[in-house]
Amino acid sequence: MVPLWPGMIPFAVAYAVTARGAGLGVWDTQLMSLTVFAGASQFAAAGLFASGASAVGIVLTTFLLNARHVLYGLSLAQTLPLNARQRVVAAQFLTDEAYGMSTVHGPLDPGGLTFAFLLGTELSLYSVWNASTLLGALAGQVLPDPEALGVGVIFPLAFLMLLVPLIASRTALLVAAMSGLVAWGLSRALPGGLVILIAGVGGALLGAWLTTRRGTA
Amino acid sequence: MAHDPPGNGVSPLVVIGLMWAVTYPVRWLGLRLGGTTLPPFWLAFLRFVPVSVFAALVAPEVLGSPEWPRRLLGSLVGAALMWRTRHLALGILGGFAAYWAARVAGL
Repeated sequence: MVPLWPGMIPFAVAYAVTARGAGLGVWDTQLMSLTVFAGASQFAAAGLFASGASAVGIVLTTFLLNARHVLYGLSLAQTLPLNARQRVVAAQFLTDEAYGMSTVHGPLDPGGLTFAFLLGTELSLYSVWNASTLLGALAGQVLPDPEALGVGVIFPLAFLMLLVPLIASRTALLVAAMSGLVAWGLSRALPGGLVILIAGVGGALLGAWLTTRRGTA
Repeated sequence: MAHDPPGNGVSPLVVIGLMWAVTYPVRWLGLRLGGTTLPPFWLAFLRFVPVSVFAALVAPEVLGSPEWPRRLLGSLVGAALMWRTRHLALGILGGFAAYWAARVAGL
């Protein structure tokens, strides 16, 4: 689990500082990490709060970003049978990182991939994420004017760092370029939440169409 | 940065509650429906969502910013570092350093 922490800690701290800069309180910032617990969507929501996006736009963007989690459940449930109570618990903490760690390292564990392994992985990530959120939320309180520090650039940088490893094919590069350009163009006329939804859904549709049409990923 | 209450007047607590309400059921549903296979088109759609959404979050914040030349330079340096090292913190810090170098240089 340790190898994932160096990536999670600065991301959680940066999320919390952005959320505080957007006007969210320490408790709001922490509550989002305790409940939603999905880094990219939390960071996106913080940025949208900062840009004055509507509540509906923020919630729909969250839904769009987290819809991919259905894939992790589908995939895990193929190899790891869970009972009803275990599903209720495991679902709360299921993230990209927990899925990745469990599917890659679970089968290598002497006991194999079990509910205990999955939950242990999930809870270790959950603790680190929430502790780092608190750290960032409190640090955000003592930092001077975010604009003077240039903290605003951290938000696009963080998402760019998440985007770069995903550009593994020409189709992905095309989808990223099109979505980015469309979002840039629309952002001159439309509110932030709506821009992300239109460019996000449109880009993913384009990618799905190109992939299934050619039969390559 | 916003000086009005965030979320256009809706309490952040309500927004956070709704964010949870659209996230948790999706995770649970996947675990519940284990064994079901989605059509290839929708599988691909869900895989491309992070690519399109992340790009849509980045572009307006860089190109649409009043200080876009500095942010663009920071982004290029950060992306190049990330591409070579796959180290998230290094990419962010390197990009931030390049942004500040451009800012100090008056770009």
